Amino acid sequence: MHDNVIDRSKEITILEVLDRVLNKGVIITGDIVISVADIDLVYLGIKLMLSSVETMEQVKSGK
Amino acid sequence: MDQIIYSIVSVKKQHRELNALLVELKGISGADLYDVFFDDITAIVSNIHRNNVVASRPNIIEYAEVIETLSQQFTLLPVRFGSVMESTDVIIKMLGRNYAEIQSNLRKVENKVEFGLKVFCDPQNAGADTATIALLSSSGENSPDSRHSVYRNYLDKKLQEHRIKERHLAQIDLVIRDITDAFAHLNPLHKFQKMITAANIINDLLLLGKDKKRELVLAVEELQKKYKDLQLLLTGPWPPYNFVDFKII
Repeated sequence: MHDNVIDRSKEITILEVLDRVLNKGVIITGDIVISVADIDLVYLGIKLMLSSVETMEQVKSGK
Repeated sequence: MDQIIYSIVSVKKQHRELNALLVELKGISGADLYDVFFDDITAIVSNIHRNNVVASRPNIIEYAEVIETLSQQFTLLPVRFGSVMESTDVIIKMLGRNYAEIQSNLRKVENKVEFGLKVFCDPQNAGADTATIALLSSSGENSPDSRHSVYRNYLDKKLQEHRIKERHLAQIDLVIRDITDAFAHLNPLHKFQKMITAANIINDLLLLGKDKKRELVLAVEELQKKYKDLQLLLTGPWPPYNFVDFKII
C-alpha cells in the first residue's frame, strides 16, 4: 500500500474516533460540559446535541 | 468534585476483573478511574473539574482508549464525551432511574461490535459530470436566438443536473443493495448514510457478532474486487457508539 494511502487511512481513523466520542454514544441528560482548546467553557443545554468541534467554534464566534 | 462518565458497563460476576483493569487504566489527564455501581451495572468515572473538560485531541483519545479497553472484556454503552455529574450519589440515582432501558440496550449490544464501511468514488469521475453540465450550459449562447437560449439553457442545465443526480443516487442504491446482500450471512444491523460528501458516497455502520470480523473482511474484499472504480474503507471493531444513541435522565 502506498504511504500516502496509509497516512490518509490513519487520519480518517482519528477522525472516526473524534466523531464517535463527540457525536455518538449515550447522552446523559444533565449538563454536557465541554470547552474547545483555549476557547472559554461552553455549557450545552440538555436538549442540545454537540455535532462537532467545528460547530462549537461557530457557536462561540456567533457565526 | 465533578465526575466525568466514560461508559456504563454490564458487570455480572466479573467485579474482580473490572477492578484489576481499572487499576491499570488511567482516565483524562492521568486521572484514576472508579466504578459507581447500581446492581449489576456500573458507571466508569474519573474525578474532573468542569473547567478541564476540554475537547482537545489528547483528551478525546484518552477518553476513547478507556472505552476501547473496557469494551474488550465487558459489554458496555459508550457515553458521549462531556457527560459530567456532580457526585457519586447523583450517578447512582441516574443508574437506578434508567436501569430497565440501560439493561435493554446492553442486551442489544452484548457480544457485538461496530464496524464502519466508507465508500468513496473517484472525484475525477464526478468532474466529468460537471464538465458535461458546463458544456450543455454554454451551448447555444452565441446562437441567433439568444433571448430564448438564456432560459432554455438554464432549463437544460437544471434538467441535466437533476438527471445526473438521479442516476448517481440510483447507482448508490445499487451499491447499498450489493453491500446488504454481501453481508447478509453475518446477520448485521445496518445504518446507511448516502452522499456524505461528493467523494464519500456511502457510510455503512454495522453491528455484528464479535466473532464475525474475518468473514466481514473477506466480504469487503470481494466487494472491492467487484467495484474497482470505488474505494472501500473498513474501520473497526469499535465499541457500539452508533447503536446506543439514546438519552437517559
